[in-house]
Amino acid sequence: MKAKRTLGQRFWQGITKRVSGAGALLAKVWAHKQGKVGLIMVSFLVLVAIFAPSIAPYDPYDVSQRAAKGLPPSREHLLGTTINTGQDIFSMLIYGTRVSLIVGVTSGVCIAFVGSILGVAAGYLGGAVDTLLMRLVDIMLVIPTLPLVIVLTNVLGRDFWIIILIFVALGWTGLARTIRSLVLVLKNSNYVKAAELAGASRWHIMTRHILPGTSHLLIMSTALSSAGIMVAEAGLSFLGLGDPTAISWGKMLAEAQSGGALLFGAWWWILAPGLGIFLAVFGFMRLGLVLEEIANPRMKRTSSVYKLFKSLDSSYVEEVFRSMDDYQKIGAAEVASGGGQHYGTGLEA
Amino acid sequence: MKLSYVIKRILYSLFVFAVVITLNFFIPRIGVEDPAERYYPPQGNMSDLEYEIVKQLTREQYGFHVSTWQQYVNYLKGLAKGDLGTSFRPGSPKVWDLIKSRLPWTLVLSVSTMLIGLVVGVLFGVLAAVKRGCWQDTLLLNASTVMVALPSFFIALILSFYLGFEWEVFPAYTDPNMVSDFSWTWEGISRVARNAALPVLSMMVGSIISYAQGTRNAVIAVTNEDFVLTARAKGLTRNTIRYKHILRNSLLPIVTSLGMSVSGLIGGQVVIEQVFNWNGMGTLFLEANNTNDYPLMMGIMLLLSGFTILSILVTDLVYVLLDPRVTVGDKR
Repeated sequence: MKAKRTLGQRFWQGITKRVSGAGALLAKVWAHKQGKVGLIMVSFLVLVAIFAPSIAPYDPYDVSQRAAKGLPPSREHLLGTTINTGQDIFSMLIYGTRVSLIVGVTSGVCIAFVGSILGVAAGYLGGAVDTLLMRLVDIMLVIPTLPLVIVLTNVLGRDFWIIILIFVALGWTGLARTIRSLVLVLKNSNYVKAAELAGASRWHIMTRHILPGTSHLLIMSTALSSAGIMVAEAGLSFLGLGDPTAISWGKMLAEAQSGGALLFGAWWWILAPGLGIFLAVFGFMRLGLVLEEIANPRMKRTSSVYKLFKSLDSSYVEEVFRSMDDYQKIGAAEVASGGGQHYGTGLEA
Repeated sequence: MKLSYVIKRILYSLFVFAVVITLNFFIPRIGVEDPAERYYPPQGNMSDLEYEIVKQLTREQYGFHVSTWQQYVNYLKGLAKGDLGTSFRPGSPKVWDLIKSRLPWTLVLSVSTMLIGLVVGVLFGVLAAVKRGCWQDTLLLNASTVMVALPSFFIALILSFYLGFEWEVFPAYTDPNMVSDFSWTWEGISRVARNAALPVLSMMVGSIISYAQGTRNAVIAVTNEDFVLTARAKGLTRNTIRYKHILRNSLLPIVTSLGMSVSGLIGGQVVIEQVFNWNGMGTLFLEANNTNDYPLMMGIMLLLSGFTILSILVTDLVYVLLDPRVTVGDKR
């Protein structure tokens, strides 16, 4: 029998265990060619977001520079200035990173949190909880996402945190469904059966045995849904429905359109925010796909890419929620049979 | 067995629809006691008495003077008669009349996007699957990774910038007279086609790639099935196997999912319609949002949700009828 550890020791051991686990995962991602690209892009964006005030050469909110209106890219203004207000586009781009990353990553993490709790509850507890949650998922998948987001921002307000809340409230469904089908498999595994026979409580089994089994899915889905939410946020701001006080890439594009960038040939004003969105989404997606590949080596790369792109309609919010919905196709049968390629029919929907 | 499944499926769809209707009714009422305040938000320059009179008039006009429960019953009664409600717009037009005038224009965009995407996408997907690992396949994979990170409205802006303004190939904004001057003549139709070119182009790229990717994976999955091996063992020619055995079986899921993708397309089309000022349901929805016209917004939502429910139902039933391998029963 081991000597009982004090609370402090247990705490530190927990921390070091998790840190070393995260370190090992990062090392694996770094060793992967595609993963390196994703990791570099994401950490670059995070640094830019943190140090935005020291990187940005001008005040992005400064609309008083009358002399500097509509300048093309030059050494003073790396990405030129806006036509109507003379704001420095490079500085706006830098500050826009913050909104995108905060909204994207916060929503991604919250979605993973909510989705895993509800998915594990539905899968392990079964019965009424399961029925209720899965009916709710069915209903939410039927309502068109972008219009619903617009209605909710109208009713609840357009504050930064409310928008995150809306994204989380609508985004957990697909993940919960996937987790549920994975849990259904784990539930029948021998170690869970053993724990049940040993008299472990349901809570203990759910948190200590089942939840860790879904962790690779959670890490991947956090990266992928962050990417998806970034596109969604950009779209919402583009429609002028984002937080009105923040500078975001979507809003920059909307201002470019209404401010005459198209008419006066200010290509830099359109390309810059688009490039920002592209870098962020691409980086996070790369990272997510590589994480999936590391966690589940039997799943081919094409299959994970396919899962993402099958959901790629022209619609961007749809894209997010539907791509998450597609995870359901790593359904119970597939996980059990070793994650072979399988074309989901969507019949289980 | 099959019949009971069909009945069960239909009943479940009706249940989902009922819940969606209920949500539709209650979401705009979140946070306000009096729906009349949604119609007419408090104004600074109005005395309390005046405001109260205005609200009372509104209540009577829109049936808000009865209890919420009674309003809900009235809403359901109206829906049963095909009445989606009355818009808050001046002149109180019926929601359905507003939608009816915009629906065809939206469908012009989404249906043509879908059809072009389907035809080109399937051709390209088959090509990529057949030439697995060759440059065609790699191109598709790389194109799809890049495209998913580019939002459609950004592509729309770029297209509008170059094709619309710089090179003036297509109109960058929809001709405001397109709808009013429309006639079923060659001239009228070609004008619509010209104006629709950029919106369709900007949505088409994503659509092509998603169908291509889907087809490619489906074809490869079917190629690995046993019956293909059997066909090969029987000595059938490569083309017979390719077109009769593989293609037919891999297209089934794609074709049946078309219904669902239409309503998804319309929902996502909001942004594209906004970019090009296209006179469709997307812009109608945004107009409704800007004027807090809740009945109109909820009417559009209800229509889209209803359409999605219907297409999921039809897809499921068609599947059961067509594909003998699908096992019927509650798989949950």
